[in-house]
Amino acid sequence: MSTIDYTQELPTVEGKPSAQSIDDVISKPLDTKPGNLWKILITITSLMLLVGGGALGWTFYKGIGVWGNNNPVGWGFDIVNFVFWVGIGHAGTLISAVLFLLRQRWRTGIARFAEAMTIFAVMCAGIFPAIHTGRAWLDGYLFPYPNANNIWVNFTSPLLWDVFAVSTYFTVSAIFWYVGLMPDFATLRDRTTNTLKKNIYSILSLGWRHSSRHWQHYEKAYMILAGFATPLVLSVHTIVSFDFAVSVIPGWHTTIFPPYFVAGAVFSGFAMVQNVLIFVRQAFNLKHIITIGHLEKMNQVMLLVGTMVGYAYAMEFFVAWYSGNQFETFTFINRALGPYAWAYWTMVSCNVIFPQLFWIKKIRTTILPMFILGVVVNIGMWFERFVIIVTSLSRDYLPSSWGMYTPTIYDLGILMFSFGLFFTNVLLFVRALPAVSIAEVKAVVDGAQPSHKGGHH
Amino acid sequence: MIYEKKELPGKVQKIGFLLTGLGLVLVLVSYLVDPKREAFNNVIGLMFFASIALGALVLVALEYLSGAVWSTPFRRISEFIASSLPLVLLFAVPLFFAMHSIFHWTHTDVVSADKILSAKTPYLNIPFFIGRTVGVLALFYIFYLLFRRNSKKQDETKDQKLTKTNVNLSAVFMFFAGIGLTVLVVDWVMSLEPHWFSTILGIYFISATLLAGLAATTYAAVSLNEGGYLGVKVGKDNYYSFGALLFAITNFWAYVAFSQFLLIWYANIPEETFWFIARWEGGWKYISILLMIIRFAVPYAMLLSQPSKSDPKNLKRVSIVILAAHFFDLYWLIMPTFSKTITFSFYEIGFPVLVIGLIVLVFYAQAKKNNILPVGDPKLQRGLDFHL
Repeated sequence: MSTIDYTQELPTVEGKPSAQSIDDVISKPLDTKPGNLWKILITITSLMLLVGGGALGWTFYKGIGVWGNNNPVGWGFDIVNFVFWVGIGHAGTLISAVLFLLRQRWRTGIARFAEAMTIFAVMCAGIFPAIHTGRAWLDGYLFPYPNANNIWVNFTSPLLWDVFAVSTYFTVSAIFWYVGLMPDFATLRDRTTNTLKKNIYSILSLGWRHSSRHWQHYEKAYMILAGFATPLVLSVHTIVSFDFAVSVIPGWHTTIFPPYFVAGAVFSGFAMVQNVLIFVRQAFNLKHIITIGHLEKMNQVMLLVGTMVGYAYAMEFFVAWYSGNQFETFTFINRALGPYAWAYWTMVSCNVIFPQLFWIKKIRTTILPMFILGVVVNIGMWFERFVIIVTSLSRDYLPSSWGMYTPTIYDLGILMFSFGLFFTNVLLFVRALPAVSIAEVKAVVDGAQPSHKGGHH
Repeated sequence: MIYEKKELPGKVQKIGFLLTGLGLVLVLVSYLVDPKREAFNNVIGLMFFASIALGALVLVALEYLSGAVWSTPFRRISEFIASSLPLVLLFAVPLFFAMHSIFHWTHTDVVSADKILSAKTPYLNIPFFIGRTVGVLALFYIFYLLFRRNSKKQDETKDQKLTKTNVNLSAVFMFFAGIGLTVLVVDWVMSLEPHWFSTILGIYFISATLLAGLAATTYAAVSLNEGGYLGVKVGKDNYYSFGALLFAITNFWAYVAFSQFLLIWYANIPEETFWFIARWEGGWKYISILLMIIRFAVPYAMLLSQPSKSDPKNLKRVSIVILAAHFFDLYWLIMPTFSKTITFSFYEIGFPVLVIGLIVLVFYAQAKKNNILPVGDPKLQRGLDFHL
């Protein structure tokens, strides 16, 4: 094992790349024509989008009767996927805002990308409640506004709070992302020789000239936005958890849900960001900017939040027994031993048992095992939502009204649609915008900041 | 860097003795006058003490784990506070003899007539209960001793490997800390009302513990540094993180407390709501409202602006507010089981005074024996050079 020198801060960027070389390497994908790999990938993801879109279209045409949802399981893949994607969307703001407030400089290499993924994931998430209403063309009524029919939303329902929480989150994430992009747009504007691009970048950069006054304002704005975004990150998944926890369904109504959902969201989000970054750093020669050290830190965060999720599972199980409530106790025994036990044990092994391998440094710092574990975590977190939603609904109070849930091909198609949408967006993003913040990376290169020790560096 | 050890003024010890003496007298008198009531206060005292000492130990582990440098010059302060852990167990001992008057579930006749309570006996029984408390506190103390040994050895050897050892130890410790704190709060708070349950209560207490340990450390760190007792002057930038963390955890506590309340209020299931009703009726609502103000609104307002987070005077003041609010939080959690109507008099004063007095004494003794600055820590110089 290599020894760490604690007297020195670890460099955030490997080597000492010049400002010019950082500009070049990050904007290269924007300046060059895409390679074959990218074309193959976008073909696949667009196909997923198209074929999945067919399932979506069929749903619009026939109605949601084509799904597997039934009575008693009124929430199926639609809500599972919603919660899954909102969860994925949590890593971005956590990395960009919370780690910013915690002054974690390693975030600079990955923040931009993670924020973009947040935006795409929230877009994917937004599809599901919209189509779950059954008549998506009437979704305008989700927003409370005075109308001729005097139809108002139910303000006491967490389902409505979701509308506010998710749309606020999307808006603030997008603004935060855009503010971070402004200096980079200016850099791109100054680099490019293409007139059309120059015009677009000029408009997007809002007249940014890298003056120190701009930077001063920028840093203030960024700090304030980070301050706003931080409670928002927590609030979004908290409110998603309220969708379940305010009810009286056994297995849904439990007070640990808010922090437990937030931890789970961060868990799955980090896993997704880690997975995609592994490809990006390879494909675009960013290994010195998105280092193994960064990936290791992400894996450590995953180990931490994964263990928190494990704590929540254990606590739920313990209190279900401790409460002495027969319905609660039954629900948890049913999860572990009932007809959906396979889903439950997939969830536990993927989310709690396998991630413990991250205790081993070798696994945290080797690409292949960490990638596999990232995929495993995402599978586990998808199943977590499946377990929570389906097992509790399929067997609640009255055995006479129990029922099983099986997704149909349309459910799977719409899930594929959301993955297609997400990855198509990601692929377009890496070609259209700088995937790493040029300005911020320059600021964390060794020697970029004044040293207070007097020329030590 | 040349470190010159500076003794703490004897005044500190005097204050310690004074508070300990005063607290001890109050506690003894109260125990004589109303043993049952004082036993409940003893539970508050136990949890108050445990949370400060354990919170400080968690901070030590957090510093190692996160690789933070701003707090390295102050780490000894948390270590000194955590060294009072064996005394915490001493607070539990009288309670082991008074369990019958505190815990409903120790009454065999009540339990055997109650289906739900008798189902809980595999967990709620006296030998297991005592075993858990002793086990958890002993485990924490062992971790403390290990941290301490490495940290102290490093003063002489300056061996970087010791930091690595403590980093690994911290990871394992955090795992047990989460479980241990949950066990403590389930046993000493949740089982006071053995029919009541809430899965978030463990996290509630974990956040309260962090806040208590951090507030105590902040107060001591700022006082020592302002008085020049660290041997070197640590810059104000290091204070900022104290303020920011106190602010963050205060918000987190409020989030957890509100989540617990909202979910129980909204679902409106009698087997859960009675606990909150007991904290609203009989005058208890004044404490419920007080908590919202002094445990959330006041620290929030005091720490919101950026300069206030590194203002030493403000940090000391807010630390006191937070510790006082923490006491009232525990009082609110525990006392309604003793009395349906609100009661507050000299009985309630003894234990917090005693706890503070003992911590001051232990701190003084530790500071006399040891370097206040971790002089051999490889991160120390970076900590002293720290700038925002």
